[in-house]
Amino acid sequence: MSDLSTTTSHVSLSPWGQAWRRFRGNYAALVGLIVLGIVIFTAIFGPAIYGIDPFEMVWAPFSPPGVDGYILGTDYLGRDLMAGIINGARVSIIIGLSAAFMSVVIGVSVGALAGFYRGWIEEVLMRITEFFQVLPTLLFAMVIVALFGASLPMITFAIGIVSWTAVARITRSEFLRIRELEFVMASRSSGTRPLRIIFSVILPNALPPIIVQSALMVGSAILFEAGLSFLGLTDPNVVSWGQIIGSNRQYILDAGYTVTFPGIAIFITVLCISLVGDGLNDALNPKLKDR
Amino acid sequence: MTCFTAQHSLKGGFPVNFLQTLLVRSIYAIILLLAVLVLNFSMMHLAPGDVADTIAQANGGADAEVLEAIRTEYGLDQPFLVQLGRYIGNVMQLNLGYSFYYREPVTELILQRLPATLLLVFSAQILALLLGVLLGVISAQKPNGITSHFVTFIALFGYSAPVFWTGILLLIGFSLQFQWFPVAGMRDVTIEGGFFVKTWDVIVHLILPMITLASVFLALYSRLTRATMLEQLRTDYVRTAYAKGMPHRKVVYQHALKNALSPVITLAGLQFSAVISGAVLVEAVFSWPGLGTLAFTSIIARDTPTILGILFFSALVVIIGNLLTDLAQKLVDPRIGGIE
Amino acid sequence: MRHIFKDLMAATALASIVATASYADEPKKGGTLVTVLGSNVRNLNSAVQSGIVTGFPGAQLFASPLRYDENWEPQPYLAESWETSEDGLTVTLNLVKNAKFHDGTPLTSTDVAFSVEVIKANHPFKSMFAPVETVETPDAHTAVLKLAKPHPALMLAMSGQLMSIIPKHIYGDGEITDVKAHPRNNENVVGSGPFKLVEFKNGEHVILERFDDFFIDGRPYLDKIVMRIITDPAARAIAYENGELHMGAFESLPRIINRLKGVDSLTVTADGYGAIGPLDWLAMNTSKGPLSNVKVRKAIAYAVDKNFISKAIMQGTASDSTTGIHPDSPFYAAQDGYDLDLEKAAELLDEAGFPVKDGTRMSLTIDFGWPGVKPQVEYVKAALKKVDINVEVRSSADFPTWAKKMGTGDFDLSWDTVFNWGDPVIGVHRTYDSSNILKGVWSNTQSYSNARVDELMAMAAVETDDVKRKALYAEFQAIIADEVPVYHTNTLPYHTVYNTEKVGNPPIGIWGTSTPIDMTYLK
Repeated sequence: MSDLSTTTSHVSLSPWGQAWRRFRGNYAALVGLIVLGIVIFTAIFGPAIYGIDPFEMVWAPFSPPGVDGYILGTDYLGRDLMAGIINGARVSIIIGLSAAFMSVVIGVSVGALAGFYRGWIEEVLMRITEFFQVLPTLLFAMVIVALFGASLPMITFAIGIVSWTAVARITRSEFLRIRELEFVMASRSSGTRPLRIIFSVILPNALPPIIVQSALMVGSAILFEAGLSFLGLTDPNVVSWGQIIGSNRQYILDAGYTVTFPGIAIFITVLCISLVGDGLNDALNPKLKDR
Repeated sequence: MTCFTAQHSLKGGFPVNFLQTLLVRSIYAIILLLAVLVLNFSMMHLAPGDVADTIAQANGGADAEVLEAIRTEYGLDQPFLVQLGRYIGNVMQLNLGYSFYYREPVTELILQRLPATLLLVFSAQILALLLGVLLGVISAQKPNGITSHFVTFIALFGYSAPVFWTGILLLIGFSLQFQWFPVAGMRDVTIEGGFFVKTWDVIVHLILPMITLASVFLALYSRLTRATMLEQLRTDYVRTAYAKGMPHRKVVYQHALKNALSPVITLAGLQFSAVISGAVLVEAVFSWPGLGTLAFTSIIARDTPTILGILFFSALVVIIGNLLTDLAQKLVDPRIGGIE
Repeated sequence: MRHIFKDLMAATALASIVATASYADEPKKGGTLVTVLGSNVRNLNSAVQSGIVTGFPGAQLFASPLRYDENWEPQPYLAESWETSEDGLTVTLNLVKNAKFHDGTPLTSTDVAFSVEVIKANHPFKSMFAPVETVETPDAHTAVLKLAKPHPALMLAMSGQLMSIIPKHIYGDGEITDVKAHPRNNENVVGSGPFKLVEFKNGEHVILERFDDFFIDGRPYLDKIVMRIITDPAARAIAYENGELHMGAFESLPRIINRLKGVDSLTVTADGYGAIGPLDWLAMNTSKGPLSNVKVRKAIAYAVDKNFISKAIMQGTASDSTTGIHPDSPFYAAQDGYDLDLEKAAELLDEAGFPVKDGTRMSLTIDFGWPGVKPQVEYVKAALKKVDINVEVRSSADFPTWAKKMGTGDFDLSWDTVFNWGDPVIGVHRTYDSSNILKGVWSNTQSYSNARVDELMAMAAVETDDVKRKALYAEFQAIIADEVPVYHTNTLPYHTVYNTEKVGNPPIGIWGTSTPIDMTYLK
């Protein structure tokens, strides 16, 4: 009896459910997910809970960590570094998510259309993809931000516009594979409208590698933003981790903690995203488990 | 480009088709570069402000009259297409314009700095590849061993930590604390000596920036190698080799690895754009006199001709990098016509 | 007999002590000085290019008629003597007879006349030689400058990097305005200074070596100067510490200055910047909005705490400054300044008609001229919040964009660092002269206009009597401190760092490194 029930419970789980099971078993990915959850929680609720304005000068400058109740110390203007890190989480996450979202939308569209329609549409779209692939990403983004202003939307746009090619390639590759499968051929020959085939038939099956890539893109968008901020191409009215590193760079010699803590924050966030991405990969592509 | 070759896989004679592909690819590359030029030129044109402002500011400011005169002199009042046409025409003759900020022809300026960046980019890629493949192979043989996890950890660190942060840490650690490496720049100008002494000097300066840049890509290459190696080690082909009594080493390195390398090399080729981006940040940290620092100062100074020139050259480097990667691909496994 | 012998002994002993002492101070010839430039130098021709980065190599390659000592007294250089006429309208320079350019061509008065023309046409500092109408050359070694009006500032303008004498036979091959982009500005540069150019690698270094035919016998002492280009301040700090760099000027980051002060092998001094006269300031656009009201400007001055800036941001490395003239200048007249007084600030704002409405009185934007002053900008934002003024920080990714904003008056507040360049006529007048309103960046971008101030400046420009001149500038400084179109808080704490054991006679005179370092030597 017990055997039957276990067998039944296995059979009744959807592919997504099975994937989740696998993910759960991956301890590294779980830890990553939990920590990531903490980071996101901090980004959303942190500023309200912690209460200190990261721009306000609350104490003597360069107060070392742990002194006088300021856990992470103060920076060159006497501003609370902890407040900077908590508020910075918001900007970093927002930019990370938005830029990744933009890249995914563009990339999936391009890849799907190319992979589905083939022929000259595919040629043109692939040329465009290779064109963007050849552009030096950081330099191009730097130029965009320098020319059109360093506001949050512009930075997001600049990051998004140079990062979509990987998603496009993967999407197209998946579409090429899936469109030849029997059930898809059936839809195609039965006269279903192409857009419907793309979105309802092929795309859901192409999702696994796209999801994995999207997750990794959030991480790389965060790193990208940090790089731009480090170089000074940042919105001066908001705090971001990369910006804290950039403005404190000249103090690394004896106030290194001002650079170390935001660096650790970025590192942990991106690391967790990578772990979760890996976990998703293992969970969604069990056959390619060791990739 | 890689897609292109999939349709022209190597059938028939190796040499003839090889040259053919090379020719076709080169023409294609030129078209691609032109497209890059047009896009970048248009973008700079779109932006508020123009070169006249830059020139005027470089001369300490100017009023409306002088600005108009500058515009006429440099043909900035011409319609956009005319300017674009003229620019492309110049580029075809290898004239990238004149930098108002540096007061030097752009081509000269870039060619002065290009070798430094090339050195950094290629040495970092090669280091990351060699080390990554090695570590990948080792950890593939014992997928759950300590070495494997250690490798994954180091690789993940390199990837997740912002490259400039890694650079700063290495700088503090090895230049300041231990004083093993110099702090900035590409060479010590005060050193007297012949070719070998000077080369060694550059190498010493190169080590920290190279390691910093390579650390980012180590993760990718080592993990992909590990994955493809694991796959290879499970194939019938490999099992047959074992069964035939071939020594373990030979199986791994001569048979499995050869097949496993292809995807890794492809990946490396696709990373060139990212490597150049990383190089910009590494150059900033180590004051490495390459295109990255030039790009940064040019952007700050709104030196349009130089910015365009750098974007152009970076695209060129990426394209050449892709080409070389495909060549390397053919060396490793001539059967493969191109991966997509 | 015996006491004569004793006296003799004492005398000999004394003599030998004196002899050894002076022997220890005797400059040694030879060696390579490794120094640094903090940003990339674009142009080595200081006759057409201003700025301290060009000034350092420029002053080694090119010579000027005069040089100044630490007491602001002019000394002979290319001009072995000079006279000014009674009416102040004629200045005669008697040039040394043996000055040669690096290519062997003798330097003559024709080159001096040519250089003045070039500088007038190309150099951004128009006020330096504006009153010079012609330069006559009665003979090869006499140059006579004819002025339209008396011009006491001319003396300082003939020193440092401000009047580099360039060879006519090289730069005179085209139009005068072509010199600005002349190919010989960056390679094969030929001047008559103590050092000649060996190599200039853009972004990497400038290498100079001794000019053996320099017109001052026995000088320079150094064989070679290597100026490495290292833009990262922390990297420079490490290089000073581990001995990679012997000397460096224009270090301004307080934290790094204090750190280097703690290193035994180094001497860190604030000397050497009196003539360059770098000042930090908060500029306020008087042409629009609330800032046109002097009470609002005063309120802002009361709200921005100089003390905090000096102690916290500058970490004690900067000096106080209350006017537009640098404290080291002989013309400086200290004012009372605006100490922190939030109540007074609030009062003034109320009086000016800007009460608190919905938690704020007004909104202003603030720009900044270079990344180094970002801390001050962020501080102003926070400080003004305390008197309910909302400040938005605007960043310009590139210099021309910012310069354009300033030049066209498209700003409210701006924090910047500006230099005096020796005589107030050169670097100070441009800020307050009503005829210089909105003529590009670093002109009177505040649109400030005060007839009395204009008058004072005009009189001081032609006043040859030092005492009278000081009085004129004293009144001038009192007025601008009161009307505060520009709020002066402190000097920019430029410091020179050098290795105490190795570097002798470092360039810490009034022009700092913008002067020939022919007397510097390696111990």
